[in-house]
Amino acid sequence: MANLKEIKLQINSVKGTQKTTRAMKLVSQAKLKRAEELAKRSRIYAQKLDELVSEIAYEINHSKVGGSDSRFVQTDLAVRTVDIICVTADKGLCGGFNVSTLKTTLKLLREYKEKKVAVRLRVIGRKAIDFLKYNGIEMTDEVIGLSASPDYKQAAEFMDQSLMDFASGVTDRVILIYNGFKNMLTQEQRVIQLMPIDISTVEPRELKSSIEYEPEEQEELLNTLLRKYAEYSMYYGLLDSLAAEHSARMQAMDNATKNASERVNELTIAYNKARQESITTELIEIISGMEALK
Amino acid sequence: MDTMKLEIVTPHGLIFSGNVKSATFPGAEGEFGVLPEHASLVSLLEAGVIEIEKEDGTVDSIVIDSGYVKVDENKTLVVVEGAVPIVGETESDMAKAIKEAKELIKKASNSDFAIANVEAKVETAAKTRF
Repeated sequence: MANLKEIKLQINSVKGTQKTTRAMKLVSQAKLKRAEELAKRSRIYAQKLDELVSEIAYEINHSKVGGSDSRFVQTDLAVRTVDIICVTADKGLCGGFNVSTLKTTLKLLREYKEKKVAVRLRVIGRKAIDFLKYNGIEMTDEVIGLSASPDYKQAAEFMDQSLMDFASGVTDRVILIYNGFKNMLTQEQRVIQLMPIDISTVEPRELKSSIEYEPEEQEELLNTLLRKYAEYSMYYGLLDSLAAEHSARMQAMDNATKNASERVNELTIAYNKARQESITTELIEIISGMEALK
Repeated sequence: MDTMKLEIVTPHGLIFSGNVKSATFPGAEGEFGVLPEHASLVSLLEAGVIEIEKEDGTVDSIVIDSGYVKVDENKTLVVVEGAVPIVGETESDMAKAIKEAKELIKKASNSDFAIANVEAKVETAAKTRF
């Protein structure tokens, strides 16, 4: 009988877990919808910004010998120091979501180490910070809370530090790593070079009249525009990462719920068998007792 | 009267899109107005108010922090970081929008003159509605 009770307890505990995982799945589902919506709405900003940047970039490429002087567009810089921005979630329970980003980051770190390039690691997300701290890897920056609720101003401020260092020559490249949303079932590792930006390939645009610039310094305009561009890319990265996080968690929780119901089935069968066994034993006892009385 | 297409976008989405008669922008080198068939122009925008005269003659005010405007013969595109439209069905909605706008402008600008200027404009815009 003790065995029966044990199994019953186990079944109840697994059912409890299942309830939690199912609830978490539903929560993630709702949050995913919101994150996707945010990302979709903000994409229009990127398109328009793109339009502006490419027009000015084209103008500069054509009107100026040797192209732009801006450091943001010098793609042939000797790379000595790299800023790597790594984005993960603050929370776990989302399958391999955080781990795969960390793996990519570590791989990149190794590659740069081999090339003797100094790396500054700027990290967003508690999971990455905990992991890197545990492994004794040094970080220049640690931000918690931004990946769970992306905010444009905060993202821009964070990015500005990288941009300032890049502009003054402290760093020669800025790379963003995160796990992006591909579809409901898959996430995709994204490694994006934020700085420098290659503008040599922009498409020419049909213009009816020549554009007037205000302030007249085109370089200044381009610089501020590219700055905005990088800031936005950072913000979009956070949104994309959030959507991916929720889709990953949804999937992980769905799997957990399924596993739990399988386990409940197994345990129920075990419980029934044990019950049958005890009934049979009791019956045998009664029958043999009656036999003995004859 | 001719109209032009005006679009205002922020990282959070589209704020305004439609045909307008004219628009006034807070340019980095001074406020300027744009009418349809304006020559192509790209300008930096400062914290301030964009005033839009819509097709039906009503004026919409939108408070922005910083960004760009690209004017074309028949299309004007505004790309800004933060924007708060001064609109609202009821007076309390309006009061909320004004409060938000004031907060935005205080964060974006450090010149008292600019802040006072924007606040005055916002309040006049709100008054004409009720």
